[in-house]
Formats: sequence, C-alpha cells, structure tokens
Amino acid sequence: MLTVIGRRLVWATPNLVLVTVLLFFSVAVFFGNPAALMLGQDATPQAVAELSHQMGFDRPVVVQYLSWMGHALSGDLGRSYTTHQTVAEMLARSLPVTIELAVLAILLATVVSVGLSSMTVCRRLIGTSVTVLSIVGMTVPNFMLGMVAIFIFSVKLGWLPSVGWVPWNRGLFVHMEHLILPVVTLAAYYFGAFSLVYRAEYQAVRERLFVRVARAKGLSEHRVSFHHILPNSILPVVTYIGISLGQLMGGAVVTETLFSMPGVGKLFVTSILSRDYPVMLAVGMFIIVAVILMNLLADVVYTLINPQIRLN
Amino acid sequence: MREILKRPKVQIGAFILLIMIAVSVAAPLIAPHDPTASSIMFLAPPGGDNLLGTDELGRDILSRLVYGGQSSLIVGVGAAVIAAVIGVPVGLVAGYLGGRVDLLATQVIDIFIALPGLILALIITAMIGPTLLNLVLVLGFVSWPRIARLVRGQTLALRESVFVEASKAVGARADWIMLKHIWPNTMRIVAAQFALTVAYSIFTSASLSFLGLGMPPPTPDWGAMVRSGFDYLAMNPSMSLAPGAAVAATVFGFYLIGTSIK
Repeated sequence: MLTVIGRRLVWATPNLVLVTVLLFFSVAVFFGNPAALMLGQDATPQAVAELSHQMGFDRPVVVQYLSWMGHALSGDLGRSYTTHQTVAEMLARSLPVTIELAVLAILLATVVSVGLSSMTVCRRLIGTSVTVLSIVGMTVPNFMLGMVAIFIFSVKLGWLPSVGWVPWNRGLFVHMEHLILPVVTLAAYYFGAFSLVYRAEYQAVRERLFVRVARAKGLSEHRVSFHHILPNSILPVVTYIGISLGQLMGGAVVTETLFSMPGVGKLFVTSILSRDYPVMLAVGMFIIVAVILMNLLADVVYTLINPQIRLN
Repeated sequence: MREILKRPKVQIGAFILLIMIAVSVAAPLIAPHDPTASSIMFLAPPGGDNLLGTDELGRDILSRLVYGGQSSLIVGVGAAVIAAVIGVPVGLVAGYLGGRVDLLATQVIDIFIALPGLILALIITAMIGPTLLNLVLVLGFVSWPRIARLVRGQTLALRESVFVEASKAVGARADWIMLKHIWPNTMRIVAAQFALTVAYSIFTSASLSFLGLGMPPPTPDWGAMVRSGFDYLAMNPSMSLAPGAAVAATVFGFYLIGTSIK
C-alpha cells in the first residue's frame, strides 16, 4: 500500500512543479508590472523602476519564481497590497469557511441522492422527481439557484437570513441558519451528478445474483436495497467526488460571492477584482495545488476501499 | 441521424435552442427599446411600456434580455469550436500513434482535467481582459481536454478494428486512416461533447460575468444582468431572475441535446 501511495506522490510531483511554473510565469508575463499597478497611473517611470527594484520585480522571472517558491514553502506567502495583512493569515482565516461549506455540501448531496435513489416506497414517483431535480441541479447555474432560494426563503417567506456568515462561536444555531441556503445551493449540482451515477450502478447491481438470493431469503425489499445493493453501488459516487473536487472549488467561489461568505473563493475573487497581486498569486496557487493534492488523496482512498484495483 | 432527431429529449432541446437563436438573431426587430439607452425611469416595476421593468440605470430589461443572448451564444459556440479544434487532433493522434506520444498527451490531458475550470478561467480572464474574443479563447482552452480524452478513447478502440487493418494492408498512411476512417466514426461522440461544451461554456461565462469578470458594460450580458439585479432582488426580482432563467434555459437546451446524442 505504502509503495502505491509513494509512487503516486512521485508521479504527482512533476505535475505540481509544472503547474506552478506555468501559473507563475503566465501571471508574471501577462499581468503587467505589479509596481506600476500599485503606484497607479500618475507614477513617474523612475518611481516605478525604483519600487520594482525594491520589491524584486526587475529580476528574471526564474529567479522570482524560485524565491517566491522558497518563501512559500517556508510558510511566507507574501503580504496583501490592500489590507497589508500576510496572505498566510488571510488564508488561515478563510479556509475553514470554505472547507465547512464544501464538506457539508458534498455530504448533503451524497446522503440525499443515495438515500432517495435507494428508497423502495413510491419508487416511480421518487424516481421521476429525482430525474427532474437532478437535471435542474446540473443545468441551472448555482448563482441562479441561490438567488431563487434567497428570493423564496428570505425575501418572500422570511424564514432564513439572506446573505452573510456568522462564526460558530456566536451561537451554533445562528451559524447553521446562515449556512443552510449556501450549502443547498452548492450541493444542487452534485445531487444531480451523484444521482445519475448512483442510479446507473444501482440498476446494474439490482440484477445480480446475490440480490436475488437476499430476496429469496425473505429479506424485506427495504433491507435488500439499503444493506445489499447500496454498499455495492456506492463506489462510482466516491470516484465522482474525487474527480469533481476542482469543480467544487469553482462552485464554492460563486456560492461564497453570492452569499458574502468570507471563504477562500471570495478572497480570490476580491483579490482579482482589486488587482491585489500577491494575494491573487498565492491564493490561485494554493487552490490549484490543493485541488491536485486532493485528487491524489481521492485516488489513494479509492484504492483503499476497492481492493480489486491494482495499480500497475 | 433521423433516429436521433425523433428522440423527444432532442426535440425539446432543439425547440428551446431554435427560440434562443431566433430571438438573438432577430433582436433588433424584437426588442422594444434600445438595450443600452438609459432613462430617468429607474427600477420601474414590470408592466406598461417596459414589460419586465427597468434596471438601475433606467434601461429596458426585456430589450437587454433579448440582446443578451447574442454574446452568450457566440461565447458558447465559439469556445466549443476552439475546444474541438484543439481536442480532436490531439485525441486522434494520441490514440492512434500510442506509445510515448500517447503517454505525453494523456499526462497533459489529465493535468488540465484535474484543474478547476472556473478558477483557471478567472485567472486567465483577469490577466488578458474580458473581451468577447478572449472569453471564447479562454473557455475553449479550458474545455479541450475533455474532448481530447473522449476522442482518444474512441480512437484506441477503433485502431484495432478490421477496417483499419484492411486499410493498413492496402498501404494507407496514418494520416489518411485517421482522417478517413477513424474521424468519421468519432463524430457522433464529438457532436455530443460539443453540445455539452457549449452548455458548460455558457454556464461558465455567465458565472464569470456574475463574479464581475465578464463582458465589459454597456454590452447586454445575462450574467452581468444577474449580478447587478441581485442588489435589487426584493424591489424588482425580474431584473435578475429573468436573465438567470435565460441562462438556465439555454444551458438546459444544449445539455439535453448533448446527453441524448451520447
């Protein structure tokens, strides 16, 4: 097992280096001189040159990359131009928000899609509604879904707060109350995707012999579905979670912006819109490296839970 | 082909898209007002002269909605064309030649597929600026690996088939086989993925606009309309819900066609 994980890691390293190099170089080439951006339009060329020199932007890009990476690996991700906080601090503050949102959304999508698709009562009715809901979840952009949810549950009914985020130490109830709409919004797409994937596998597993044996033993339809078919059909959903992590990050960006949640996605968008170069570069790098590492983790988890897979 | 057109899902999808295309093409004839002309009637409620009301600058929402389809459709279809132009040759060559070429191509494809599309599009758009052409290029660049992977898989299977072997036996060159024998057999899967790529690109470009990195104003753009309308959700919900519904309907149309051809 350890060799498998080790080999995966060795394979992933060149990819990681390549991606960070590509990102750093393209940002450095296309984004323009950060010193000029900082000083604004009225700055004299001398002032720009001086600041460039001071901050090291006049060095070759390779040197800049190596020095940036060296600092980043020791935990120094630079400092924001607008708020003057360290990027590491900003990330540390916003990361828990995003992780909580993403984990809850994936959890909700998995439980609801697998649960509904395994139900044995009113199978016809539930089946049709799941099909309709999954197509809605997969085709309606999440900013639209979130907005409709805000319109119905906050503006019209007044049941839930519309936007904003409250830390959990100011009351768990208020905290969760603010999380309901964003989590549902982010989960909608995954509910659709998981339902499609799970149902296809479920139908195939239902035809297998052991299911017939379980029925012949006299087990209830409910027990057969949840205890025999479900465990054997859930693997594709796990795979799907692994490959959709990148997309999940994109969904989180939109959801956090819509609901004004102080997460990594919102931080990233804000830094892009305000041209906050160090934050944008560091957070962009962080997201992309995190997605690659999590894909790797998903691969490893997949081999752990499915002993049939042998990497060659 | 006939058989595909008879499927109800394809018919519904085609119906939605025909309406969208017709409205976008005939926008100058249909739109009751100039989509960029502001007036002193700020945030007028729906009804009367402005069927869907006006936005915060007094512009007619219906007219902007009608014109907004143009850029969405151009970006969506343009991005899918770019994705196919890069993805199909890469997939064909990687799948047919195999060996080191294939190893390299799959490695690159895997890296790009793992990367978050919207995040990548955000970074690139922020760097090169959100113009119509740039959006097409960025979204095409983000989507080509999926097409390449599908074509590669299909090519890998077709390479072993008897007709390819026969063609080789009479001395056909690799490029001839790829172009005349393998490409026609992958067209269906490419068409399906093409429709899905259009759906994805419209979805993503609307998300970019919503985040503030879409087409610059005053171009009427659905995602940007949703963004500005969100602040007035309680006063005039149609300002954001109408363009949002338009995005959803267009994506839905392409999605239906894409999934049922597959």
